[in-house]
Amino acid sequence: MSVLEIDGLRTFIKQRAGVVRAVDGVSFAIEPGETIGLVGESGCGKTMTGLSIMGLLPNRGFIADGAIRFGGADLATVNEAAMRKVRGNEIGIVFQDPMTSLNPTMTIGHQIAEVVSEHRGVSKAAAMARAEEVLALVGMPRPAERLEYYPHQLSGGLRQRVMIGIALACEPRLLIADEPTTALDVTIQDQILALLDELKQRLGMAVLLITHDMGVIAGRADRVLVMYAGKIVEQAVTGQLFHRARHPYTGALLASIPRLDQPVKQRLYAIPGVPPDLANPPAGCRFAPRCRFATDECTGSEPALGGPDPAHPYACFHPIGPGSALTPAEVTEGHDRPGGSGAPSDLLALDHIVKEFPVTRGGLLRRAVGTVKAVSDVTLTIRRGETLGLVGESGCGKTTIGRMIVALERPTSGRVLFEGQDVGGLSGAPLRQVRKDLQIMFQDPYASLDPRMRVGSILREPLQIQGLGSAAEQRARIADLLREVGLSPRSSALYPHEFSGGQRQRIGLARALALSPKIIVADEPVSALDVSIRSQILNLMRRLQAAHGLTYVVISHDLSVIRYLADQVGVMYLGKIVEVGSRTDVYERPAHPYTLGLLNTIPVPDPEVERAKQGVAVAGEIPSAMDPPSGCRFRTRCPLARDICAAEEPVLRSFGGEHQAACHFPLQTPAGESDVSGVPVR
Amino acid sequence: MIGFIIRRIGQAVIVIAGVTVIVFILRHLLPGSIARAIIGLRATPGQVAAFNRENGLDRPLPLQYVTFLNQLLHGNLGYSFKQNMSVDAIVVHDLPNDLLLVGVSLVLALLIAIPVGIWQAVRRNKLVDYAATGISFVLYSMPAYLLGLLLIAFFAVNLRVLPAEAPQQPTIGGVLSDPAGLVLPVATLTLITVALFSRYMRSSAIDSLTQDYMRTARAKGLRQTTILYRHLLRNSLIPIATLVGISMPGILTFGLIVEQLFNFPGVGLAYFNAAVNGDYPVVFGVTVLVAVATVLGNLIADIAYALLDPRVRYD
Repeated sequence: MSVLEIDGLRTFIKQRAGVVRAVDGVSFAIEPGETIGLVGESGCGKTMTGLSIMGLLPNRGFIADGAIRFGGADLATVNEAAMRKVRGNEIGIVFQDPMTSLNPTMTIGHQIAEVVSEHRGVSKAAAMARAEEVLALVGMPRPAERLEYYPHQLSGGLRQRVMIGIALACEPRLLIADEPTTALDVTIQDQILALLDELKQRLGMAVLLITHDMGVIAGRADRVLVMYAGKIVEQAVTGQLFHRARHPYTGALLASIPRLDQPVKQRLYAIPGVPPDLANPPAGCRFAPRCRFATDECTGSEPALGGPDPAHPYACFHPIGPGSALTPAEVTEGHDRPGGSGAPSDLLALDHIVKEFPVTRGGLLRRAVGTVKAVSDVTLTIRRGETLGLVGESGCGKTTIGRMIVALERPTSGRVLFEGQDVGGLSGAPLRQVRKDLQIMFQDPYASLDPRMRVGSILREPLQIQGLGSAAEQRARIADLLREVGLSPRSSALYPHEFSGGQRQRIGLARALALSPKIIVADEPVSALDVSIRSQILNLMRRLQAAHGLTYVVISHDLSVIRYLADQVGVMYLGKIVEVGSRTDVYERPAHPYTLGLLNTIPVPDPEVERAKQGVAVAGEIPSAMDPPSGCRFRTRCPLARDICAAEEPVLRSFGGEHQAACHFPLQTPAGESDVSGVPVR
Repeated sequence: MIGFIIRRIGQAVIVIAGVTVIVFILRHLLPGSIARAIIGLRATPGQVAAFNRENGLDRPLPLQYVTFLNQLLHGNLGYSFKQNMSVDAIVVHDLPNDLLLVGVSLVLALLIAIPVGIWQAVRRNKLVDYAATGISFVLYSMPAYLLGLLLIAFFAVNLRVLPAEAPQQPTIGGVLSDPAGLVLPVATLTLITVALFSRYMRSSAIDSLTQDYMRTARAKGLRQTTILYRHLLRNSLIPIATLVGISMPGILTFGLIVEQLFNFPGVGLAYFNAAVNGDYPVVFGVTVLVAVATVLGNLIADIAYALLDPRVRYD
């Protein structure tokens, strides 16, 4: 018997503009011990499906139709008192953002104990004892001591463990995990997913895993439901879905992920357009406006979920198959950089740069209590027209380096040499002059554009500050810029909130381009965007680089994004460059154990590859940058660490050409040495 | 936590020292001179010189400041020549009455404003919310003396159920022996403060309601009352603690108006009368006292903030 059976669920949200049909006729069942993956772009109704099951819909949301059968009751119609007995007790839920999902004024012990005493009616002491047990279960180090901690004293990964603890404290039969790792670092994502899997086995519960990340689904889900515009468009066993996708949307989702194994020259497939407005969905197949296979039949009538194989239904008139091209032909066209005659020259050099931030306490009587060593002695060169990728976990110093390159921060020591000139030493007019060549594009397309400025003014501002051109020339330049990034010149009269996230990121790119800079630092340029939109922006960045001979410094925690964009890759850990080299060197012949660990943490959208992975690639969490470990900073998490790693700091050694890594026990043979000093891991 | 309180007290001492400097300078900026201001315009130059010598006003200013500070530290706020008694005597006598008026009003205001604000937040944009918002805007925009006069007109003149005047026995025991007389002054001060606090409490609670941890609390299957009491209340109170601290001078000012209106035997009334009569030593003494009260109010608010919000304790 199924744990949960959803039948024809329709969840609507009343808004001023009309009724948003967030979930529109969804049916599926979850069997005991099964993990169901629910995937799709944001705004397709995945989260609303989860919240409908829990009866946690937002204020104006309501279940309009359908049944949610769970434990002999219909959760769509039961009263609040009965629903309360289900929540946290028989169904647990883990939300996306562990930083905001815990009450900041309660100890984590109380937050877990609370749910136990609510549903089990045990004494306070017994509930607290259970909380300790649960913390141990979710892999919290020193659980007894941590009961007294407040959320702000824990890292994001540990907080997410607490969230999982709350969800599992009463041993529910179903766990809903709504983007449980999206807000976390890749290494921590890997740990949390492994934990969820292990707990599922141990507690024998069913899991509904909601995510936009095909890679996360590939290794963890038994069956996958693909959702688009409030409907399920395809459903299959995981392996079958990844290898024999029938719905063009599923195919497009899979094709738009930058993969570690695809040819680098190949353009990413991007799904054109954006998901439809669910207050006013298109007639016929909802994917038709974005589908390259769509015909009149698709816009005229709606395909039902069906097909020859009852175990693999899809809703499409023109299903794709193993034979048909998943992606349009133009995708395979590579795009090359402007023809380089000879070796390109160095444009930017970082010369032993160090950045330390003092940490102070007290308001009136400030005193330094330590320094955060954000960047410790980094030396790098970036060639004209190329892309340097900086990769590492949060807190490794990659953003600080980006800010120093565009002179938003001054190095504590060392030099940032741009065309031979020390940018860090400039001020006043010469600095303003050089800023023209150094531009930045930010991560969050929502926060980085002034909501009270029209797009035209946002783009004109840099031109005005630098005093470039007459008013008419500036207007013409703005129109060009907008066209260049694929927006209509009429957009200049609009405000940022009138655009989608992907369009805003285009505006951010246009702003960075306005002054025709030589370098653009792109700090997590696509991490706030949906996969389909992500590939549009990545393709655009590559096209603009080719057209303008731009030099990029791309900062990202996402190794597949870096691989797609970068020529040179620098892997950072706790303020240090641990490995640097060409893309092929770093991705195909990693010498540093950290690089290998990072590569292994990336969820690959291939079920066989994901399932073959064992254990956790990088254990533990990044130590504090106020007090980094002695010797090699990675040694506390390194599977190969020995005594020398604590005593002596490894220096960067060459592994042939420009490939360098700083490790006492590298995974490759250093240039000029004959014997292999490293021990291969895994 | 202890370290935090000690640092906070240290800061409070520095602020109060600053206030004493300002008061000291103000004393010397009096029209004419201190002597003229106190013994009158008709005093002969000889009398002025004698007064200055007698009160140490002929000595260098820094020395005079040290003396002034020393007196303050010993609880000597000055001497009122007009009333021929020390300022301390006046203040010590009246202060308990003020603590009663302001203290009771403040506690009542919080006891009303917090539940009302939360209730409005939970039922926001419903009829009760609009009604409560309307009432608090009317109260908030009304001058304190007008509200007091309206209450007097209605309860004392029309209905004749409450006296229009505060208790007139000047001691705290006397004031307490006539509780009916306290009702209107306390009500006036409370209503104005409630209007301010409930507006902030409402927006603070609305803010907390939209936080992700409230959704987590619901996902645990807790009762609505438990969620409001355990998860919403404390988080919403955090900004209110600061608000109460920074509103202290305003509340004391309202207190002064209310005391004058109801002829309430408190420091506020004494201050008002002294200002009208040019009784400068009382004015300066009370100024120092109000500064101390304000700083103390903020100190308590900061400590309350730290108790409510574990994130600030370690700063």
